Amino acid sequence: MDISVTVLYFGAAEATTGRKEEEFLAGDTASLRRQLITRYPDLARLPFRMALNRTLLKEESVLQKSDIIAILPPFQGG
Amino acid sequence: MQYCLLSREAETHIQTMKNRYLVGGPITPILVSELMTLGNDDTGTGAVSIFIGRVRDDEAAGRRVTAIEYSAYEEMAGKEADEIVRTVKSAFSDVRSVIIVHSLGLVKAGEASLFIMVTSGHRDQGTRACRHTLEMIKERLPIWKKELF
Repeated sequence: MDISVTVLYFGAAEATTGRKEEEFLAGDTASLRRQLITRYPDLARLPFRMALNRTLLKEESVLQKSDIIAILPPFQGG
Repeated sequence: MQYCLLSREAETHIQTMKNRYLVGGPITPILVSELMTLGNDDTGTGAVSIFIGRVRDDEAAGRRVTAIEYSAYEEMAGKEADEIVRTVKSAFSDVRSVIIVHSLGLVKAGEASLFIMVTSGHRDQGTRACRHTLEMIKERLPIWKKELF
């Protein structure tokens, strides 16, 4: 079942989408990833990783209500 | 000794800190001197290893960088920095404290944007732990930069 989740965009992902955050309906992160790339094809070229509730995603995961997913281009701190 | 960044006394002087790890704008010499007082009461420390990263005026396509604007996923950065401190302290048994401060917002070329301080009983583990902390920051802290010309 699709769940409403919040997606946050950072760095070049914010510049690419023109948004800081957005709501999506998705059942899991794989489905969300497909929707993101369909809506914003340029995201696929960044590249980006995803964090689920502030933790870097290591494998695709089922989404729960109120989950927060962050779209993270390569880090540039330091 | 706590790994926590700020003592209450230092905190009153460091008003610009957004949390224990992030500061708005450059890391000024005054902030550096405040940070260097942390852990002064720990008389078991024999070595203090400091790394300061500064914004470089790189050239790109004939234009020179005049400043960098940093942004972060602040909630995740705090959690990751906590984890970096824990990891470094468990990997280097002689390390007594690890302090990390990164800039957010605008930092001009020549100004400092990163401060790392590791206190340890002796120099060897301290200097290695400082380098290790830097590499982990680059790998794990969700921070991004926008170069301004």
